[in-house]
Amino acid sequence: MIVLDKIAKSFDQGVTYAVQDLSLEVSKGETLVMIGSSGCGKTTTLKMINRLIEPTGGVISVDGRDVMEQDPVKLRRSVGYVFQGIGLFPHMTVSRNIEIVPKLLGWPADRRRARSEELLDLVGLPADRFAERLPDELSGGQQQRVGVCRALAADPDYLLMDEPFGALDPVTREVLQEELLDLKRRLGKTIIFVTHDIFEALTLADRIAVLHGGRLEQVGTKDELIGNPSGPVVRELFDKPARQLAAFSGAS
Amino acid sequence: MIDWSWVSFVAGRVPQLWVRTGEHILLTGISTGLAICLALPLGILASRYGWLRGPVLGAAGILQTIPSLAMLAILLALMGKIGVLPAVTALTLYALLPIVRNTVTGLEGVSKEVMEAARGIGMTDRQQLWMVRMPLALPVIVAGIRTAAVVGVGIATLVAFIGAGGLGEFINRGLALSNTRLILLGAVPAGILALMVDFSLAAALWSLQPMRISEKRTFKARLRFPALALPLLLLVVGLLFSFTEPFAQSGETNAGKPDSVIIRVGSKNFSEQIILGEMMALMIEDDGKFVVERRLNLGGTMICHGALAQGEIDLYPEYTGTALTAIMKHKVMTDPDKAFRTVSRYYREKLGLEWLQPFGFNNTYAVTVRKADAKEHGWKKISDLADDASELRAGFTSEFSERPDGYPGLRKAYGFDFGDVTDLDPSIMYQAAAHNQVDVICAFATDGRIPAYNLQVLEDDRNFFPPYYAAPVVRTAILARYPELRAILERLGGLLDDPTMQRLNFQVDEENLLPLEVAHQFLQRQGLLKTDHK
Repeated sequence: MIVLDKIAKSFDQGVTYAVQDLSLEVSKGETLVMIGSSGCGKTTTLKMINRLIEPTGGVISVDGRDVMEQDPVKLRRSVGYVFQGIGLFPHMTVSRNIEIVPKLLGWPADRRRARSEELLDLVGLPADRFAERLPDELSGGQQQRVGVCRALAADPDYLLMDEPFGALDPVTREVLQEELLDLKRRLGKTIIFVTHDIFEALTLADRIAVLHGGRLEQVGTKDELIGNPSGPVVRELFDKPARQLAAFSGAS
Repeated sequence: MIDWSWVSFVAGRVPQLWVRTGEHILLTGISTGLAICLALPLGILASRYGWLRGPVLGAAGILQTIPSLAMLAILLALMGKIGVLPAVTALTLYALLPIVRNTVTGLEGVSKEVMEAARGIGMTDRQQLWMVRMPLALPVIVAGIRTAAVVGVGIATLVAFIGAGGLGEFINRGLALSNTRLILLGAVPAGILALMVDFSLAAALWSLQPMRISEKRTFKARLRFPALALPLLLLVVGLLFSFTEPFAQSGETNAGKPDSVIIRVGSKNFSEQIILGEMMALMIEDDGKFVVERRLNLGGTMICHGALAQGEIDLYPEYTGTALTAIMKHKVMTDPDKAFRTVSRYYREKLGLEWLQPFGFNNTYAVTVRKADAKEHGWKKISDLADDASELRAGFTSEFSERPDGYPGLRKAYGFDFGDVTDLDPSIMYQAAAHNQVDVICAFATDGRIPAYNLQVLEDDRNFFPPYYAAPVVRTAILARYPELRAILERLGGLLDDPTMQRLNFQVDEENLLPLEVAHQFLQRQGLLKTDHK
């Protein structure tokens, strides 16, 4: 379980706040999607969980332990992270990219190799064809699949995903979303997923947290948010899919 | 017709070429290697701590701007040595800037996204540096190393000025003796070497780059290890070359006299100096008691004087005027005897060095005109030019145009200006006068081209030019230990007047005889040699 308790982040010594008074709980096995327009603080919040950014105030705990009291290096190795820009290491082959966290953790080579092959099969990239390629010999979708494999390599309980599919074309994005749902069902990971795409949120989320201006606007299941929006921000957010749905049914 | 004589010219010098090439590779290789060891940590620190960046890059940049000869002279003063040690130090310092700068640029150029991923998956600072940042910066860093190494091959031709060997020996000697073939014998291999060094480093970088799947299991993939080893191979070749002499004829070395006393004879880097150096060396050798180590062709007054003062050489020929103005920073003196007394007293008391009896000639500046013109106008002395000066075209070296004992002083002393003054290089000044391009030049009094081009020196009737009498300058310590050296060297005293020195210089400069041959023939004809050295 990940608990955020009244966290705040200011990049300018308290003049303005990127995140303020934000409290959230993410329970085991749940997928929580944080959504909001750019600058709403969603990525900052995600990065504070594995201390890529350190909070100015409040407490974040993972499995009951305050992250600020943990060694950041160990913390990051125990939490899978999928980056917005994918961030594969361009000088390493696909398998070395995937095996990097197990290697940092000191796994023996044959165990690492078995793990990377297992993961490549899981995301539909047969190891015999893809393991030895360099990242730039892969398509964007294939690269982000490898990015997910890298995050899962050391079998972490938690997966933090920062707009991982944002740069992909709509078709590939949809395929990867389906695959992620499938992975989730099979592996039972706890996932915090950041996006600005309401359709992606609706597809993936168990619960949705709407952020606005660095504050939590509302959190709940999609039915709760649609049925009982806390205010205009949430209502507008769901207007768009509703309108499109209406347009779609009107056309047919 | 093609001139094939260069084939035998090169063939006769293969043993030297072999060793000099080896030395050149080692000089460049070792200094580049040392520079990498220094520059990488500096670059890493500078990219990591922003405040270090300015000072580190600034310092490396300043080192880069020091002219090579000045750098060598400074190191000579600091280290008290000539030869390989200051040479490698200078080359290392020059190699720092490109490597440091490319290291900083390369490390800072790695994409922020990739570095955030490295941090985000749980790499420590050190792991981020060595597993991600360095490998990705490598191409830029290696590009810096390539620049440093190629420039190093070029600069290494200059360290021959301080007797550090390498292909520059040929170039310097060729420049000193105006012998194009000798210059090319050093310059062409140096150029080829630069290309080889660059290629070997490019190949090594290529072998370190990640390989695409399409390239695996191809012939190219098998070349990776040899490519990586290429720079190392070049170094091994350098070692091999510099410590073996497969073509050298036996009996040329001094190995036969292990207990003999070694006297180190130096000279500056122009014909006259090398001839004088060879003469002194031959006289000392001929005595039979000593073995001579020739460290001729050193790069100029500051280096020769520095080497002598530091005890790196035992003697070299110097000129009174040079000692007075360049070493003592004294003002110009026109009386030759007074100048000699002043210089020898200062050297004995302040420097522990001894001036022996001068050779006889006075290699001062000489206002020189075409012989035909002199006859036509009846010019004999410089003051005879006064009436015609405004019509005459003068060709002076840029140094002469500036020095107080050059044109500025001349104008004051004689009270006239030439109509037109052109800056000319010493090497073309004489031809320019002979071919009617200029009318008056500032020749050197002992230059063999004065008689060769039918030129005539005008008498300095107002004693304006300071005297430049040449004499052996010897360390007092070595004279005290071996007093017979004085007698040996003073047998050369007064032996060479201006026309004689002109003739000897001409034999080297224009007839392309070796200074050793010229010196040997002259001494033999004078009956000064006991043994026949042929």
